[in-house]
Amino acid sequence: MSDQTLPSLYAPKSSLRKVVPEWVTTFAVFVFLALLPWMPILGWTDIFDSGNNFGRGNLAFVFAFAVAAVGFNLLVGYSGTLGLAVAGLFAMGAYGTAVLSAPSEAREALAGYDWPFFVALPVVCIAAAIIGFIVGFPAARLKGFFLAIATLALGELIVTIIRLDEKVWDGLKTNGGTGKQVPQFRVPGLDRILSVYMLSLGALFITMIAYVVLTNRRLGRTLKAVRDIDIATGPLGISSTYYKLLAFGISAFAAALAGAMWAQNSSFANPSAFRTRMLVFLLVVLIVGGLSHKWGPLIGALFFVFLRQKLQDTQKLLFLILGITLMLAVLILPNGFAALPKRIRDSRWAKDLQRRLESLMDFSL
Amino acid sequence: MSVVDTSAPGTTTDADASLAVDDLHVAFGGNHVLRGVDLQFTPGFNGLIGPNGAGKTTVFNVISGYVRSSKGAIRLHGEDVLHMSRTQRVKEGIGRTFQAPRLILDATVMENTLLGRHHLFRWGHLAELLLWPPQRREETEARQVCMSMLDRFELADVAHEEAGALSLGSQKLVEVARALVADPTVVLLDEPAAGLGADDVTVLLRGLRELQAERDLCVIIIEHDLQLVTSLCPKISVLHFGEIISEGSPEHVTSDPAVIEAYLGHGFEAEEGGEIHEVEGPLSEHHHIDHVEEEGTLEEVWTEDDGPEKGESS
Repeated sequence: MSDQTLPSLYAPKSSLRKVVPEWVTTFAVFVFLALLPWMPILGWTDIFDSGNNFGRGNLAFVFAFAVAAVGFNLLVGYSGTLGLAVAGLFAMGAYGTAVLSAPSEAREALAGYDWPFFVALPVVCIAAAIIGFIVGFPAARLKGFFLAIATLALGELIVTIIRLDEKVWDGLKTNGGTGKQVPQFRVPGLDRILSVYMLSLGALFITMIAYVVLTNRRLGRTLKAVRDIDIATGPLGISSTYYKLLAFGISAFAAALAGAMWAQNSSFANPSAFRTRMLVFLLVVLIVGGLSHKWGPLIGALFFVFLRQKLQDTQKLLFLILGITLMLAVLILPNGFAALPKRIRDSRWAKDLQRRLESLMDFSL
Repeated sequence: MSVVDTSAPGTTTDADASLAVDDLHVAFGGNHVLRGVDLQFTPGFNGLIGPNGAGKTTVFNVISGYVRSSKGAIRLHGEDVLHMSRTQRVKEGIGRTFQAPRLILDATVMENTLLGRHHLFRWGHLAELLLWPPQRREETEARQVCMSMLDRFELADVAHEEAGALSLGSQKLVEVARALVADPTVVLLDEPAAGLGADDVTVLLRGLRELQAERDLCVIIIEHDLQLVTSLCPKISVLHFGEIISEGSPEHVTSDPAVIEAYLGHGFEAEEGGEIHEVEGPLSEHHHIDHVEEEGTLEEVWTEDDGPEKGESS
């Protein structure tokens, strides 16, 4: 047949990607981040100075936020479903792991069920995914604004349940509105902050690999179909409800994982931390970083944690600046910081430069 | 092969039809859009024509599960389809395209085409996540099928370009290719040639004819270009105000007085269809007004966002 003349089945790679495949760069970034605590080259930033505990802690927060944003990215950027339960599920991850892994013989603020941390973590994440999946059922019938409101209510509901104290249900052990101390998980041979750093980085690594693998394959294009051509998915044999639920479930899993990492880092969880404010933070991370871009969540989280630490003393100013940044990001960089290189590449200025360079080369030859 | 009796209309029975529509009624509120439609589609090309607002797309929408019928039956190879879900109908072999192309504009042509094979994948997303080799093989096989289908419609060269960068004509061809890679036995094409250039129409027709002959497909086409329909389809059904007013060979249909009246009642249609305007027929003014009203309601009820997209990328 004429098969010989047909182009390759997979999209041809750019000349750069032929030399350095995508997985090499991704792994390189993570290896760099894993070695960062021992090479304090970010010392000049002060906030991300990986040589001391302050910088390491901040970076661990960056990773935790990025984990939640990666899941959120799949939900919003790919399936186009604006589910806002992410803050509540984040709280569920934080409290779930804290309560389950805490010692049973302890005072109120630190009482739990004696589960090993690495049993509690997957159990909580899977439970969050199941909740996301189930709640998605009625929510998937809604669209846009109404969906956002319904899922926002779910997030608030989880936080409200956490606020309940022992008088309502004895087994909850969330210690009500006063907050809960989080038992720390230690990686053998590392101190507390380094354990948290490595744990968060590992969580980000796993989420990121899953995100890259899934979005580059069938799930990615199917979710895009649900987002862009929802009405036409029926005659393609795609159940759009099922895929919305799947996206809900995956993002809930990531949110709970991020919550657990966040709790490990801050070592104390308070229900008021997970109000709508947390949702706004995550939205900033996602939108400033870049929707449906691999590195968007990490860049956005870096930006957000940097800003939050810089403006720590003036909380009111933080929100003002976050709001302005969000507006500017939408106006100037609708695809976020992560899309900046591509934007520069595609700009008239860069094209012009390229042309000049090429003509220069022609001349010299 | 197709056994369509082109000389006498209505000789095929439900039993040997690929898809049979039986006494179909559809009403949107008080608006009776389909009033007892009987249709038999056999392997080969079947034309479904009629003035705007006649209910042609509604017939497709009922067959593919977008609109509920109030009465009637639809049988695919003798099996009732009305109780099936939309996705199940696809698995049973009903494929369709839309009037305005519905593609993911920021995905490549190949990815868009691959969506058509979605229901044929055996491995789930967990296997995908774990980079399970049989799943990879399955993906490669699907891509091979899609590539040869795109090649038929002369789209192989743009397979890895974004669908949004294509002309409207090419986008419509991608959609036809996507419907055909799903291995359907019955394909519903809603105005596949509208907005296509002459070259694209040639490519479309050649591809469709080849595939029909190879797979003994039952192709049902809604089309406003009468010349195209009459040259392609040995059997044509004419829908007017939710009723079949004429059925049979192109010669029979185009000379039927009822059809001429229906079409001439609708000004511009007569100019488009090469054959009809030569024949004189009575003009009925009141029909024209009715059409406009009915069309408005239909569009609203059927989909939320059909109209404005149409001319977008042309």
